[in-house]
Amino acid sequence: MNELLAMLKPDFLLHHALYGGVVVGFVCPLVGVYFVLRRLVFWGVALPQVSAAGIAFAFMLQGFGLMLFAGGEAGEKHLAILGAVVFTVAAIVALTWLEQRSPGLSEGRVGALYALAAAASILFVAWNAQGETEMLSLLKGEIVTISESDFHAMLNILLGVSVSMFLFQREFLLVSYDRDMAVALGRSVVLWDGLLYLLIGLTISLGVMTVGPLVIFALLVVPPMVALPWARGMAGLSILASAAGGLCSFAGFYLSYRFDLPLGPLIVASMGGLFALSALVRAFVPRK
Amino acid sequence: MSAEPLVRFKGASLGYGRRAVLTGVDLSVGRGDFLGVLGPNGAGKSTILKTLLGLIRPLKGQVKLSGASGVPRFGYVPQKEKLDVIYPLSVREIAAMGTYRRFALFDRLRGASQDDLVRRCLKECGVLDLAGRRYSDLSGGQRQRVLIARALAAEPELLVLDEPLAGIDVTTQKALLKLFADLKEQKRLTVLMVSHRLQAERDLFTHIAWVADGKADFGAAEKMLAARHITEVFADEP
Repeated sequence: MNELLAMLKPDFLLHHALYGGVVVGFVCPLVGVYFVLRRLVFWGVALPQVSAAGIAFAFMLQGFGLMLFAGGEAGEKHLAILGAVVFTVAAIVALTWLEQRSPGLSEGRVGALYALAAAASILFVAWNAQGETEMLSLLKGEIVTISESDFHAMLNILLGVSVSMFLFQREFLLVSYDRDMAVALGRSVVLWDGLLYLLIGLTISLGVMTVGPLVIFALLVVPPMVALPWARGMAGLSILASAAGGLCSFAGFYLSYRFDLPLGPLIVASMGGLFALSALVRAFVPRK
Repeated sequence: MSAEPLVRFKGASLGYGRRAVLTGVDLSVGRGDFLGVLGPNGAGKSTILKTLLGLIRPLKGQVKLSGASGVPRFGYVPQKEKLDVIYPLSVREIAAMGTYRRFALFDRLRGASQDDLVRRCLKECGVLDLAGRRYSDLSGGQRQRVLIARALAAEPELLVLDEPLAGIDVTTQKALLKLFADLKEQKRLTVLMVSHRLQAERDLFTHIAWVADGKADFGAAEKMLAARHITEVFADEP
């Protein structure tokens, strides 16, 4: 209990890690519901890995002396975020384009992308021995050292993603649920898919730098799966999934702080626990 | 009211990529018409429908759409199996999609909704009492009615139905045919229905496009139904 009270104090030493993790926990499921509903769950595995490869690539460039942003360490982080966003959005666009050209091989392509991204991450790290330690901590999800201004910028971006997900929910739903109907109604599928993918790319990229690829994959998939049997309507699904993600991130952080164990696996374990509890309760609650 | 047809295909070649599925397609849909696009499975009926909706472009020839403001307002009823039931959507939410033509961001921010229109369409299709139910929990016939309500909520100039009676029991088929007949009579709707069957629907059609062997024959229903090569195909239907 003392640990919980200490965590909630404004001067808590790890408040960046706590708030960042919880906010990512709230936001990731908002985009994750579209992975689950569009039956693209394996994108959730591959894209965080691609994002991590983008971070490693950006650090490798810096190792070779290419600095796009001034400001020392802060500039390095900005380049890492840019690398993550570019790689993630490019991967989404490529997967979508390939799916339209030759549908039906999606799982194979996503599997290949995951393997390539994982291999590329290792190679990019190997080519940049100088910044290896910092890069590895970023790839694991390391937010403790982030500056106050960058931390607030990240929160603002994630807030913008959340507002957009609710504001444009009917468009995202329409192009996800019935693309032919969207075209028949004169809506631009390319435009709305593009915006959705951009928001997904931003969320995954910032999330990977905050809590790492494993936790991001879990946050994209597990909270929507927890919420799906209980939700009535798209807004209900998004809110429930988001609440589940935020709650599990907080619970994971508490357990990590309380028992001095690694944060990421405990967030994932919390989600596993909630998923099991939800399935158990569902088994005993008759459907209306 | 303009005498120009809502839809006119003139010498159109239709297909995917560079491969033409149908060539020399000539047909038109005038206001108040009920066009049946008939033919065996795989003949190219869906290709006509996709071209009409703008999902694919004609390879050759002309497809002219003349609604009140350019492209007609479509109300589209897809084959119900195409829609994934994993989505936890209510009947009301599905029907409301018909109103999503407009971006209407400021209406959204003000909390304004098209609830009255959606309720009216659900009522016309006899599913208003199911408005709060989950779509995935409904029977096939109920789902089809909800999708028709969704199409009506688009306030369509042209209602496009893709195999609306497929996979539905005979009693429900009769009820749906009555609904189509009522919509045709009371709302003076223009309808295009794709079907691989004929017997149940034949009385509704004012025109028929018979799609087979890479071609589409088009004419008044009476004349087309007199053609033996068409009626023979459907002779074994229950």
